[in-house]
Amino acid sequence: MNETGGSVDVLGVGKTYGQAVALDDVTLHVEPGEFMTLLGSSGSGKSTLLNVVAGFTRPTSGSVTVDGRDITHDPPYKRDLGMVFQHYALFPHMSVAENVAFPLRRRRVRGAELTRRVDEALDVVELGGLRDRRPAQLSGGQQQRVALARAIVFRPRVLLMDEPLGALDKRLREQLQLEIKRLHTELGITFVFVTHDQDEALTMSDRIALLRDGRVVQVGTPADLYDRPASRYVAEFLGESNLLPAANDSEALLVRPQDVRLSRPGADLPAGDHAHDGKVTEVIYLGSGLRVEVELRSGGRLIARTGTRLDPVPRPDDEVVVHWRQQDCVTVPA
Amino acid sequence: MRPARVALWALAALTALYLVLPVFVVVPMSFSDSAFLEFPPQEWSLRWYENFFTDLTWLDSTIASLQIAVQVTLLSLVLGTAAALGMVRGRYPLRALVSGLVMAPVLVPYVIVGLAVYAVFLQLGLTETALGFVLVHTALAVPYVVITVSSALMSFDRRLEHAAMGLGAGPVTTFATVTLPLIAPSLAGGAVFAFVTSFDEVVTSVFLSGPDLTTLPVQMWSGVRVQIDPTVAAVSSMLLLVTLSLFAGAGVARLVRRRKA
Repeated sequence: MNETGGSVDVLGVGKTYGQAVALDDVTLHVEPGEFMTLLGSSGSGKSTLLNVVAGFTRPTSGSVTVDGRDITHDPPYKRDLGMVFQHYALFPHMSVAENVAFPLRRRRVRGAELTRRVDEALDVVELGGLRDRRPAQLSGGQQQRVALARAIVFRPRVLLMDEPLGALDKRLREQLQLEIKRLHTELGITFVFVTHDQDEALTMSDRIALLRDGRVVQVGTPADLYDRPASRYVAEFLGESNLLPAANDSEALLVRPQDVRLSRPGADLPAGDHAHDGKVTEVIYLGSGLRVEVELRSGGRLIARTGTRLDPVPRPDDEVVVHWRQQDCVTVPA
Repeated sequence: MRPARVALWALAALTALYLVLPVFVVVPMSFSDSAFLEFPPQEWSLRWYENFFTDLTWLDSTIASLQIAVQVTLLSLVLGTAAALGMVRGRYPLRALVSGLVMAPVLVPYVIVGLAVYAVFLQLGLTETALGFVLVHTALAVPYVVITVSSALMSFDRRLEHAAMGLGAGPVTTFATVTLPLIAPSLAGGAVFAFVTSFDEVVTSVFLSGPDLTTLPVQMWSGVRVQIDPTVAAVSSMLLLVTLSLFAGAGVARLVRRRKA
């Protein structure tokens, strides 16, 4: 962890709109220099939480501190946090350089120092050649890079990002994910990143806070959430999952499709494997592998992901045995 | 073209012709050599234009009108923009009532406004003063500024203001550096309307005018009422030119901006 990043603490924050509860007693600690992702479906409260930290939404209860300083009642312009919006929010009447200079001017940076720092920030996002363009003349990806440069140019200790890649197409999104990740490593500042995209969250984050109905349901590293989900909801939100009945009703067994193996009935199975008989109902070719759906004899369905070079390739109506290693399945509270 | 389309085009053309017809009467009349308003003119001359630029009563009223219109424009821009902000952005009880009151001056017949103002201004000594004209014309012009500026504010992307505030700009700086530049075209539109509203105003101005101060439209009105002075036609033609260039200028500015964006 790096000294240039600030710590963020959200303590018992609640937000209600009339009868509707947007945030319900949310407490979250973000380490200095950490990449924290707020993940959730729409209406989960992730954006509301970010807006509370940014100062655009006033919480009904609780407090927000940055580096131990209580900023709950500070207006946004006194919080000194960087912010990147989903729709970039670049100022259309200003050039790229003027956009990036905006936060510096508000901090009374002038002259050569101003030019130097604007150029530096544009270099970081590799847009040095476009400084005199207007935002309308840029592509979506370029606009988002300008927005990034504008948000980091005044060296905030915390950068907030509200679904910054949501409006971009898949390929560009993946490219910018890696760039943002690189930026995070280079700058060493704290990132708080909002997304509804679980793959994005898994790829980029040091830790993920998964929100549901205004509450944090689990906070942890991507591996914590993916491999050791605290609830059935977490398991189903992140990636494809098979949930099978466990020994008692209050729990379920989770096994990820890529851990499920297929064998012919009667074949020798590795000792200790969990095994179930079933019948293939559907096979989908994905290029990177096969997605095989199996109907279990004991009831229920199960998804397996396998390589394409299985011998023989499973076909619908094939009788199969699905099995997995003991350590590949976890018990999850139902 | 289908018959229905032909009929539509014809209707549009006839409507346009009907609207500009007065121009075809007034402009030729202004070049007449006759001592009376005459259409069509028998002889042509520029004597009525010459008369306008040499007669002090015409020049004085023109200068008075310009001075009043400029002050009205500035005042109604400030008041109208503030009112539009309050009406679009504000959250307070009776907002609809406030909007209604701001728009009232254009709904109440001008004769009634003129009469009421005359009764009060007479006691205050405000008739025949520039201040009196500015006050009344501003009340009439503010609604036009409010209309143009509110429509700009309603379509304004407030995320830009959030971005500015998040980047360290306080409310005043945000307004000055982000909001104002982006709604400036609408302000310019509102300014043209405000200027024309004041510069054109006859009804309330008739009540306020007198030997000490008379505006151009009132001078024109009495020019026709009292002595049938063909200078009126010359003034009308010049006013037409000014108004046309104002609106054409606004139109060209809009085109240029759209090309740039």
